[in-house]
Amino acid sequence: MIRINSVSFRYGESLRNAISDVSLTIDDGDFLGIIGASGAGKSTLVYSINGVIPHHFRGDFFGEVLVDGMDTVQTRPEELAKFVGSVHQDIDSQMVASVVEDEILFGLENFKTPHSEIELRIEEALAAAGISGLRDRDIGSLSGGQKQKVAIAAIIALRPKIILLDEPTGELDPQSSRKVFETLRELNERFGITVIVVEQKIMLLCEFSKHLAVMERGGMILNGLVHEVLQRADKLEEAGVNIPRVTTLARKLRERGLYSGAMPLDLDGARVMMREAMRDAAL
Amino acid sequence: MSGFLSYMNGDSILHRLNPLTKLLMSAALCASCFLTHRHSVVIGVIVFNLCMSYSAGGLKRSLAMSVSFIKLALLLFVLQVFFVREGNIILTLPLNIYITDKGALFSSLFSLRLVAATMPLAIMLSVTRMSDISNVLAQKLRIPYKYTFALTTAIRFIPIFSEEMAGIAEAQTARGVEFDTKNFFKKIRLLLPLCVPLLISSVRKIEGSAISAELRGFNLRTRECGYKTYRFGLRDAGALVLTAAIIAAAVLI
Amino acid sequence: MLRFDGVSFYRGSEKIINDVSFEIDRGDFAALLGENGAGKSTLCRLCNGLLKPDSGRVTVCGNDTSSAKTSAIARNVGFLFQNPDRQLCQNTVRKEILFGLEHVLSDRAEMESRTEEMLEMFSLDGKRDPFGMSRGERQQVALASILACKPQLLILDEPTTGLDYRECVTIMGIISRLNAEGTTILMVSHDMEVVGDFAERALVLSGGRLVADAPVRRIMKDAQILDSASLLPAQIPALAMSLGDNFSDVFTVDDMAAQVESVCAKKERAPL
Repeated sequence: MIRINSVSFRYGESLRNAISDVSLTIDDGDFLGIIGASGAGKSTLVYSINGVIPHHFRGDFFGEVLVDGMDTVQTRPEELAKFVGSVHQDIDSQMVASVVEDEILFGLENFKTPHSEIELRIEEALAAAGISGLRDRDIGSLSGGQKQKVAIAAIIALRPKIILLDEPTGELDPQSSRKVFETLRELNERFGITVIVVEQKIMLLCEFSKHLAVMERGGMILNGLVHEVLQRADKLEEAGVNIPRVTTLARKLRERGLYSGAMPLDLDGARVMMREAMRDAAL
Repeated sequence: MSGFLSYMNGDSILHRLNPLTKLLMSAALCASCFLTHRHSVVIGVIVFNLCMSYSAGGLKRSLAMSVSFIKLALLLFVLQVFFVREGNIILTLPLNIYITDKGALFSSLFSLRLVAATMPLAIMLSVTRMSDISNVLAQKLRIPYKYTFALTTAIRFIPIFSEEMAGIAEAQTARGVEFDTKNFFKKIRLLLPLCVPLLISSVRKIEGSAISAELRGFNLRTRECGYKTYRFGLRDAGALVLTAAIIAAAVLI
Repeated sequence: MLRFDGVSFYRGSEKIINDVSFEIDRGDFAALLGENGAGKSTLCRLCNGLLKPDSGRVTVCGNDTSSAKTSAIARNVGFLFQNPDRQLCQNTVRKEILFGLEHVLSDRAEMESRTEEMLEMFSLDGKRDPFGMSRGERQQVALASILACKPQLLILDEPTTGLDYRECVTIMGIISRLNAEGTTILMVSHDMEVVGDFAERALVLSGGRLVADAPVRRIMKDAQILDSASLLPAQIPALAMSLGDNFSDVFTVDDMAAQVESVCAKKERAPL
């Protein structure tokens, strides 16, 4: 479990807080999406959870972050890393090796995983990320989506309880983006790993995540189950967040008194909504 | 350009040699080019290089690479050959420019050396995983892992940066900056302001790299952390004997 | 304005672009679709001479790209790259816009006035340092410095990638206004919502071949083509497709709401 209690942070050279008074509790097994305009403080929040703030980026830190009961200020980031695995934005710069297998080995070696266990862990991580066939490949020759999965596998091998991703699909095409999210769902459902993902693509978050947190100008303005958050169209618009078209459609149908059911989050939900709205109508 | 130093997957003898052996071999091949004064030996080294890359399945890449080195070597040959004034004149050109036999021999040897000496390291790097290099240097030569990791990271970043630079030059050409000029000095002058975006993106990438390594326990790493061990085998002994023979040939012939 | 005649392009022995022909007229807004690796970026670079065709001919604004210098073509053709950081090299927004103009204009007063015009159009503060801005703002600075040169054709390589929704709306608003004023647009995008909202025509690349060249609205409802380009259909057209003939003209949320209303009204009127 992660508890964030009234956290504020100001980067050393900056004049204003990157995040102010943010509180959030993330339960084990959750799949949380974080969305918001650029500059809203999403990356800063991610860095506060994995300890990069305040250990790597210096500045004024207030409040408290507890990861599995450990205070991030008192715990070294590498200790936290055993519980929280992180994948950051620029995928190329995160790679430490030239070959997929070595990329996964790096963390396992550093954390002194017993040698008898290593082979198993590598295979397991590759399989969980769906890239068993890429083990001996040169990382430079992989596509963006494949690299993203390598980064995820390198984290999974360390068997964290929580995995934290900052815009993992930023540079990917729609199908590859979906595949990354399908991998995340698999990790969440099969292995019970808590997934926290910062993402701009609202449609992916609506389809895959359980909770949605919306940030604006350093604050957390909405936080709840996805369909609850989507009801707050006004606030979302204010925060510069796109609303899925099917959700907008639902709102318009409600206004016209044609529909009163649940808020659809994706296409399947929309089909159900349409059936209900036009019950018995000749289609 | 991309893929020059990138790892080529394979299972050849060269792939299976101890990384340290490979580094020694490439250093020795490089040295032998400069120990000898005979064209035949240098050409021999080039042929040996090509045989090595053929055995590792990378002949095509090595040939492509040598073509670009040969271009550079030819340029250097032309530049040098006119500067040597000793020896018998074999070709006289107008404006008191001439080529001597000594000059031709000296410059051609120089150019051949350039080609022969740059190839081994490139070949070795393409059949060796970067993490094996950093691990073997840490384990066998007792160099702190921090430094060996920095070394291999620097090598890994070369293609990333060169791609970035090419991308920057492309973006500037597209907005009308005359990078497609044939004038070398003009090109350099135009390139200078672009060092700023390159520097900034490099700093960002290095920062990202450092955070990522830190979060995967880089600071906890000790020499004993390596999973793979790098024993020397018969294969390595054979390769070292061969290397010694090449050096001996370079000195003696 | 832009014309490809049987263009092929190789990288090494690999054929990246395979016998592509099409023509884009003045004032068109065309989207270039295709999965990662289909050859979209290569095709864009062939348009302004950054790459030269191995066979066939590319003509842009009356120039054959094989013989014209890229820096000369750049006077008429603006190119916005996916990553603005490769373009930005000055320490203030104003200098950045001037830097681009210096290579196409010689009249200082004209340069100054165009810079002011762009700062106003994008509501940018000329004194700010681009490197301290967000990605979306940097993308706007890059676009401003390209538009200052008043290109006839604008090529956009995934202009909205990495931007948040608000930044995306701002950038696309400016682009569609330019198009309305007569600038020809060729835009690479993965986002079918954006393509559906703005482009009129779509070119679809798959494996280096042009597999479709049709109005966007037709492409949006062609599941096979969308799939070949690894695209996910936009939500409303996809929903409409599953609802049958009554909904074949539905593309937007408002279309859909109106259609549902009319279907329900008919049902009420009909005797049971």
